[in-house]
Amino acid sequence: MLVFPLLQPENDSSKEDQRELETLGESSQSTESNLNLGPVMEASIASSDEYVQLQQRIFRAALLVSALAVAITAFFFESQVAISLLIGALSGVLYLRLLARSIGQLGTSSKSVSKIQLVVPVVLVLAVSKLSQLELLPALLGFLLYKPSLIFQILLESRSRASS
Amino acid sequence: MDSITTAASVVAAGLAVGLGAIGPGIGQGSAAQGAVEGIARQPEAEGKIRGTLLLSFAFMESLTIYGLVVALVLLFANPFAG
Repeated sequence: MLVFPLLQPENDSSKEDQRELETLGESSQSTESNLNLGPVMEASIASSDEYVQLQQRIFRAALLVSALAVAITAFFFESQVAISLLIGALSGVLYLRLLARSIGQLGTSSKSVSKIQLVVPVVLVLAVSKLSQLELLPALLGFLLYKPSLIFQILLESRSRASS
Repeated sequence: MDSITTAASVVAAGLAVGLGAIGPGIGQGSAAQGAVEGIARQPEAEGKIRGTLLLSFAFMESLTIYGLVVALVLLFANPFAG
């Protein structure tokens, strides 16, 4: 008799707590259903544009460095060396383009980064070894001409981060 | 080219590609894993993550390319072929 009235309010409070929990659950469900994913998608699209712009900057810088190197080589060395350097530089830009494309597809249409870009140096070395008009060392140095543009891009990014 | 030089060149070419691809392979795998996790957590930072991944992949894969070039030179333009 004495215990029952003491327990009764506790039961009432637990029921109230349960009702509050139910109402909270309903409200959270309603917020989930009304969740607006628009800003996240817009930010993701803007971020993809940023990646495309980064690619374009790197390609422009690589082409500029390649043109400068080919011009200097043509001035100081034979035309055969300059042509080999030009072919190597174009192969390097193609390699970088394929790498950028496979990284762009990572997580969306493929689960891993493809290795198709490694065909480019293989074909370059094979072509240089088979064709007597081309030389191996200038072609390989030309292939590596995309690296200065990458280093320049990293330096630019680190400087902009430090300033911001 | 005598047979010993040919055999040594072939073995060296295999070792150059095989050993040279181990480190970059592991590094690229872990980098890609981190990038995909980062994109899944922060889709708004996708461009920056992909840009950083592109730069790091270009530098990592160059190690594989060095091994590949050494192997191809040994196989097709061997300087030790008398």
